[in-house]
Amino acid sequence: MTERDLQRWSREVAEDPGAPSFVRLARAYRREGRRSAARDVVLAGLERNPEHVDAHGLLALIHVEEGERQQARDEWETVLRLDPGNFGASRGLGFLALERGDLTAARRHLDAAARVRPDDAAVVQASRVLERREKAGAGGATAEAPGPAPAAGPAEETAASTPAGRDPARLFAPLAGEAPFLGALVLDSQGLVLAGGLKAGEEQGELLGALLNAAVAEAVRTARMLGLGGWRGLLLETAQAVVHVTALERGSVVVVAERDAPAGWVVRTAGRAASLARSFFEEGP
Amino acid sequence: MSERVMGVLDALTRVEGVRGAMVVDAEAGVPVASQVSTGVQETALAAMSGALFSRTTDASGSAGLGRLDVLQLEAAGGHVVMAGAGPLLVVALTESEARLGLVRIRVERAAGELSE
Repeated sequence: MTERDLQRWSREVAEDPGAPSFVRLARAYRREGRRSAARDVVLAGLERNPEHVDAHGLLALIHVEEGERQQARDEWETVLRLDPGNFGASRGLGFLALERGDLTAARRHLDAAARVRPDDAAVVQASRVLERREKAGAGGATAEAPGPAPAAGPAEETAASTPAGRDPARLFAPLAGEAPFLGALVLDSQGLVLAGGLKAGEEQGELLGALLNAAVAEAVRTARMLGLGGWRGLLLETAQAVVHVTALERGSVVVVAERDAPAGWVVRTAGRAASLARSFFEEGP
Repeated sequence: MSERVMGVLDALTRVEGVRGAMVVDAEAGVPVASQVSTGVQETALAAMSGALFSRTTDASGSAGLGRLDVLQLEAAGGHVVMAGAGPLLVVALTESEARLGLVRIRVERAAGELSE
């Protein structure tokens, strides 16, 4: 896409909000971070093309980025009514269902997504998280009630299987008092959470682990293809947070911090988190 | 535009430890302009940077972290720092000993200049 394309689409959509280029223009605005403009363009386009599948899918993504989960769900459900085999909608609805703990809906949508793209890394990871939760749920029906647990599910499993009994969810407690710190996770090589947690909650931690795993896989491939050797880490500065991922011998450790966290603090904290994660792997929780 | 792009690349490649810099069409993953030292695989760097930024942007959005501004890949033999500038990406490839904080600031600044 060039500046000229953007100008042309903008002109076409100004003349006719339902012009075929409206989705391309809205996508371009979204990529530029102009979500409000993207939303305006796609809504105006949908008024004239109410059954435009890609437009509903794009609107769903914009809603997700704005934290409007219910609206995103509505849009993806519209997509599925129009295009029952749509991969993006099945995947998106699967993530949303997993996030809110609706395991039945998550299973239905993630299975549908996997039928279309069985190798999609995010779907594979989310399905693993789902499978583990389904097993935990089935076990919980017959086992003694474990009581309320603030920790992530996988961390609880690890605690139950280790004699030391230290709570893996509290592995990063020494870092928790520092203002910019929003949490840290130890991930296995599949992106599953082994220890730690996020202030945003268990669901968010598991979702982040699964999604980051896909990005890490791409990073590993990039480093190899460019002849840079083994990857050591990733740093993401996003609109909401700073995320640092450090490669470990048997997985990775993720630190999430406030967006305005000082760079030096992030580097130091990532180092401390990596030490704690290594001790977790070496000594158990 | 092209003068501005070349100015941005000039400034980036003057930073100590930077082996090359390029502006990439984020969607197509192809170089728009570049200044790289010998031995850097220009088209591979553009394609891989575009793919990595795109994949990570998806992850960031889906995880509720919002728009991805800057991405830094750290590897044993060097690092790649990239920042979104609308439809473009500013990418810097560095030596492993480069001062990454400084490079990141310069890449962010370059992306800001191209977005204006």
